[in-house]
Amino acid sequence: MARYLLRRLNLFLATSLVLFAVLFIVTSQFPVEQRFALTGIQSPSAEQIAQIEADYKLNSGKFNQFIAYLQQRLGGNLGISATSQRPVADELASVLPASFELAAVAGFLALAFGLPLGILASLSRHKVTQHTIMAITLTGYSIPVFWLGLTLSLWFGVQLGWLPISGRLNLLYEIEPVTGFILIDTLISSSPYSTSAFLDALLHIILPAVTLAVLPFTVVVRITRAAMISIMEQTYIKAAEARGLHTSRIVLRHALPNALIPVIKNLGLMLGTFASYAIVVEVIFSWPGVGAWLVSGIYQRDYTAIQGGVLAVALIIIFLSIMIEVLHTTMNPLSRKELYASN
Amino acid sequence: MPQIKIYQGDEIPSPMLKIWHTFADNPFAFAGLWAVVGFLLLAVFGPFIAPYSPEHQDPHALLLAPSWDPAGTVEHFLGTDDLGRDIFSRLLHGAHLTFGVALAIVLTSLVLGFIIGSISGMMKGLKSSILSHLLDALLSIPSLLMAILVVAVMGPGLNNVFWAVGIALTPQFVRAIHQAIHEELQKEYVKAAKLDGANPIQIFWYVIMPNVWDTVIIQTTLGISAAILDIAALGFLNLGAQAPSPEWGAMVSQGMDNILTAPWTVTIPGVAILCSVLAINLVGDGLRSALSPINN
Repeated sequence: MARYLLRRLNLFLATSLVLFAVLFIVTSQFPVEQRFALTGIQSPSAEQIAQIEADYKLNSGKFNQFIAYLQQRLGGNLGISATSQRPVADELASVLPASFELAAVAGFLALAFGLPLGILASLSRHKVTQHTIMAITLTGYSIPVFWLGLTLSLWFGVQLGWLPISGRLNLLYEIEPVTGFILIDTLISSSPYSTSAFLDALLHIILPAVTLAVLPFTVVVRITRAAMISIMEQTYIKAAEARGLHTSRIVLRHALPNALIPVIKNLGLMLGTFASYAIVVEVIFSWPGVGAWLVSGIYQRDYTAIQGGVLAVALIIIFLSIMIEVLHTTMNPLSRKELYASN
Repeated sequence: MPQIKIYQGDEIPSPMLKIWHTFADNPFAFAGLWAVVGFLLLAVFGPFIAPYSPEHQDPHALLLAPSWDPAGTVEHFLGTDDLGRDIFSRLLHGAHLTFGVALAIVLTSLVLGFIIGSISGMMKGLKSSILSHLLDALLSIPSLLMAILVVAVMGPGLNNVFWAVGIALTPQFVRAIHQAIHEELQKEYVKAAKLDGANPIQIFWYVIMPNVWDTVIIQTTLGISAAILDIAALGFLNLGAQAPSPEWGAMVSQGMDNILTAPWTVTIPGVAILCSVLAINLVGDGLRSALSPINN
């Protein structure tokens, strides 16, 4: 197992290195002066120019430049944002929690509704029920997320007026950010209105989270259903039935843990698409997360923000997908057989 | 007079025919196939049958409702947008931008991914790992972020969407084909062919590839639906096709200004995107279930 973990760590480092290389190449291709693309300082003084050239070794060869670039970026120096003049690292720290919160709630919704529905779909022998569930999931899988977001906000936000459609919290509430997660911050804040602020934050997150949850939800339903159908045919399930166990016990104890394995694997494969969808959802619902920040960065040609945002999001995705792979291996003894295979 | 059958058993259909029969037995998949064919025809012939040009502005028919609405007229079948442009004509003109470009992107990245994936899949050891993991890094950048990077370098426009989505899709093809070939390579029947003295190219083409084509086909259908959604999303974010273009995602974003007074300017292009992706996914689903009995 230790060797396997070491290999995964190695993979993480190698992939991140390639990512840095890609970003380095892209940075040199930006249609602006390289000094500006690297640091975000619009009109540097003579000292600053000397400092930048020393930091990034701009006068030496490409390879040395890349090493210097790596040193700067790994040291936490992501440059300053050209529009706000604040360090990109600080801006990232303020927008990332919002994205995590949205993604976590959406992922929770997808699993909480997707798993039971997938199990029900697999157990039902009724043709109509099966076709209905498959039709719903296929539609959910095909729906363009921006259109879904607009339709939901038009319907529930404007016409029915039930839910707020932009931002994370009503501006009336002033909540001191501690963790950056608004749902937690409102709960632990000492303000006398913390309960109503929490409810308001909860109302704000419903529409974006539901919009974002549609894709993982449909994937979870489909994968769970397919896995459960194939597992319920297995002989060990027949043996459990022969022992006279209750159906719910067979499903929950004997079948579900095995059905979760392909679900976890597919969640890992879906991360990239999920992140793309999250960016669009954040833009539609003005959710102040990393996606909306990146898109406004590209509108304003804020090259340091673009680099920093892409770097952070891609690193998180690499890390999470490797973590999910490790989880998949620990949960699935069968895949451990291939651990020491040649590749 | 019908032919008299002497033998009890039917003719044994070829594997291709068997797949086709299983596919055609599924009415949803078949409907999807017809829809895809319809969209393909629209992508090619749409501009010829459109009643108006995509930029034609009718100042007497601004924000006209669709024809089934009491306020609508049949001249503008799906209504008009805020500049009096006929939405139906724009949809027809946009079909090749959304649907056609998606096909072109998938075809290009499929060829590229097929070549890289087969080479890295057939190789062993370090070389193979390097080739496949090099692209894993690209795979970890979501397609929209890749598009943002490409737009940052090259500026917005539909040509650059081609590169952005292509760069994002190619690693997926590489990875799928690499893994499929790699799995097949370890099976016994390949060893048997090797013992018969087949050279690597023969093993690749005649022994392994027949078992990998289904992965390629399934991945292609997934790629097309992802490409359509990406192109539309980029058009919506104003990073892809630019304002007067009748690309479907761009049409949604142009309709956004009037979403409260004229929701059809947003709804109708959205439904068009939904239908095209749904059709592709129905075909992909049908193909997957038609191909899978062979796997098992």
